[in-house]
Amino acid sequence: MSDFLHFSEHTLQEVALVFMACVYVTRIVWFLRFAAGKERQGQTGSGATSPTKGFIYSWANVAMPWAMESTRTKPSLYVQFVLFHLGVTTAIGLSFVIPYAPALLENGLLVLILQIVIGLAFLVGVRRFIRRVSDPYMRAISTPDDYFSLLLLTAWFFFAVLAVPNNSAGGEWHLLMYFWLTAFFLVYVPFSKISHYLYYPFTRFYFGRSMGYRGVYPIRRVHKAKTS
Amino acid sequence: MKKSTAEESRSHKAQVVVDRLGKKLNRQIVGSMVACVHCGLCTDSCHYVLSNPGDPTYAPAYKADRIRKIFKRHYDWTGRVFPWLVGAKTVMTDEELEELKDISFGKCTNCRRCSLNCPMGVDFATMNRMTRGLLVSVGIMPEGVATVSKDQWELGNQMGVLKEDYLETLEWMEEELQDELDDPSAKIPVDKEDCAVVYSINPREAKYDPRTIGDAAKIFHAAGEDWTMPSDGWDMTNFGLFSGDDELGGAVARHLFDRVQELGGKKLVISECGHGYRSTRCEAPNWAKYDVPFEMESSVETMLRYVKEGRIKLDKTRNSKPVTFHDSCNLARSCGITEEPRELLNLVCTDFREMYPNREENYCCTGGGGAMSMSEYTPRRLKSGKVKAEQLKATGAKVVVTSCHNCVDGLTDVIRHYELDMEVTQLVNLVAEALVIEKPARVPTVVEDLPLAGRRIVVADDEPDQLLYLATVMEDYGATVYQAASGDEALTLVRKEKPDLVTLDLAMPGRPVTEIYEVLRSDSELEGLKICIITGRPEMRELIYQRMETPPDGYLDKPLSEDDLLRGVRKVLELSHQEV
Ligand code: SF4
Ligand code: SF4
Repeated sequence: MSDFLHFSEHTLQEVALVFMACVYVTRIVWFLRFAAGKERQGQTGSGATSPTKGFIYSWANVAMPWAMESTRTKPSLYVQFVLFHLGVTTAIGLSFVIPYAPALLENGLLVLILQIVIGLAFLVGVRRFIRRVSDPYMRAISTPDDYFSLLLLTAWFFFAVLAVPNNSAGGEWHLLMYFWLTAFFLVYVPFSKISHYLYYPFTRFYFGRSMGYRGVYPIRRVHKAKTS
Repeated sequence: MKKSTAEESRSHKAQVVVDRLGKKLNRQIVGSMVACVHCGLCTDSCHYVLSNPGDPTYAPAYKADRIRKIFKRHYDWTGRVFPWLVGAKTVMTDEELEELKDISFGKCTNCRRCSLNCPMGVDFATMNRMTRGLLVSVGIMPEGVATVSKDQWELGNQMGVLKEDYLETLEWMEEELQDELDDPSAKIPVDKEDCAVVYSINPREAKYDPRTIGDAAKIFHAAGEDWTMPSDGWDMTNFGLFSGDDELGGAVARHLFDRVQELGGKKLVISECGHGYRSTRCEAPNWAKYDVPFEMESSVETMLRYVKEGRIKLDKTRNSKPVTFHDSCNLARSCGITEEPRELLNLVCTDFREMYPNREENYCCTGGGGAMSMSEYTPRRLKSGKVKAEQLKATGAKVVVTSCHNCVDGLTDVIRHYELDMEVTQLVNLVAEALVIEKPARVPTVVEDLPLAGRRIVVADDEPDQLLYLATVMEDYGATVYQAASGDEALTLVRKEKPDLVTLDLAMPGRPVTEIYEVLRSDSELEGLKICIITGRPEMRELIYQRMETPPDGYLDKPLSEDDLLRGVRKVLELSHQEV
């Protein structure tokens, strides 16, 4: 391994991680400085709903594609969501496995599984990019950050697939690309829409709690799904 | 502090909007501003999108980005540092604010369907309400919103109903009820203290649909309820919900809450109205910063409770037409009232058919968010009703029931526009119809004098069928009717025949009816003439909201049943207190 690759796998990642953590903390502090709106309303709805049940249901929503019409009626988008985020988690994990536990990657089956998972996420990234560019509704709501973040992640998946075997015998360029993209990604994320997961627990908490107060969440399902 | 060049060239109103946006931000709103990932999943949830294919400016996220870009430019640090990257952009001119108004008021009914379908928990409807509030605070709003808000501020109710008219309507309904039940103990008690129930209504009921008050009174009477209606502070609607004006919202609610407390009422029952219930029950305690010490419930819950407690008995065979139910967005999506109306419907009619999607996934009636008062957007609203019309048609029902007055108007327009063979009614009407009252109601005796006997009426309408219908009904009830096919013809007939009443359709060809109205009003020889406006075209509604100096003596909404027509005409002619 060259010194440059070693630097890229260790020092570069550590600096980028610290940077990301600092910006994230600043982001959260900034967000929490906005006062949360108070609820004076009395609880409505049946006993099956409550503010606590409401926010738990709201958080669990991500794993219940049947709960919302938007995911229930577009199962392929939900599957893409799952694959994409599995790929992200795996590719992030990989950036720790390669420098700190490379022995794990001597297992051929594990390498294959990781490549499949990240490879599928790459395909989803391509599919999502095509959708964003070709669908007029998606174009109308897209900012440069939306395109750039997606391209960045898709390219990152691509190099992650190549990096999984952690084999530099034929050259280090693919590993270098993966680690430099990871570092760039860490620095860029707090400024981009990719940081949405920071806010997700809050937005779903407040929305779910409010809907729980009002007897909407958890949604009662009674013979309702003829068209959906 | 020295102003930047951009700030200097920004219009005063735009600057106020930018500044006030900062004050309106709370954690929930900021969350909705920053959490959108532009995934587009909410796009198809919006009835505007579904009814206007190919126009992405109706997409919820697109609409949200119109205010989000201002937030990002001024309050989100990524947007401040890299505005081009995240689509951040400030607002500079009044014209841009007008564009924002067009989106906020004219392309969204705040129905919250997209909010419920966003995986990120972005509540666009709440963001949009905030946007409306910002625009209203600088005087940028549809004319109808300004008029209705003014009425609610000044007269305490959003339709400008005067106290004496309201009380007279209650008296009239009480007499009709006593007459129908042949029971002088059937009352509409006003300002009675320490009652179990204080009943609040939508001013639309007093102004256009008094039958719902009469029906509710009949149900309270049959249930043996200890109830009252306040003479003041009786309006449970709240235009603050639509205009985004929390101050108005708080003031209106405080007025109502204070009144219930003064009367010592134990429970506030809110008549069937989606936004009224949501405002009063859920939002108003927050707007008014009021810890409400009494219980509140929707009249739907009250009626269901009466049935369950055995306080009223129903004969569902009296409602045998096929019926479907439209969920008001505010009741279903924002207040969780979805099962109670269905339970009641199954007890009150023989053929209930669900529409799809339903409950919290139902589509907006198109009249939500105050849309009925914004006549400039009516064509757009009606076009966006396509999805609702298809939904209604697919049920094969002849009656659509809804627990909301806005929805009654919204659905009536959709039904008329898409020529569906349906009528709209409310649960209170069906329950009153099915009510079994132990003491048999008096069979109306045939009276010598017909209810409109001796009255001379000029009826003006350019639609021959409608003209014939109105004339025939009134003639059948004993009136002498003169028919006019235009405003000018009506004017000539009125001057010649000196009738007691003229009914004017608002949308006749030729001279504008508003002009004819003014001529009639200013003619000293026609001083005692009663004028009743009949509206058939929803886009003419603004005339209802524009306050004329001397308002018409009555308004009636087409299509008109024989009963509603007779009742309305008798009210205008002040015959209502006489025995029919
Ligand atoms: S509002 Fe929600 S569903 Fe709509 S684009 Fe944004 S994140 Fe997606
Ligand atoms: S709140 Fe309703 S009308 Fe407004 S954008 Fe969302 S779905 Fe459309």
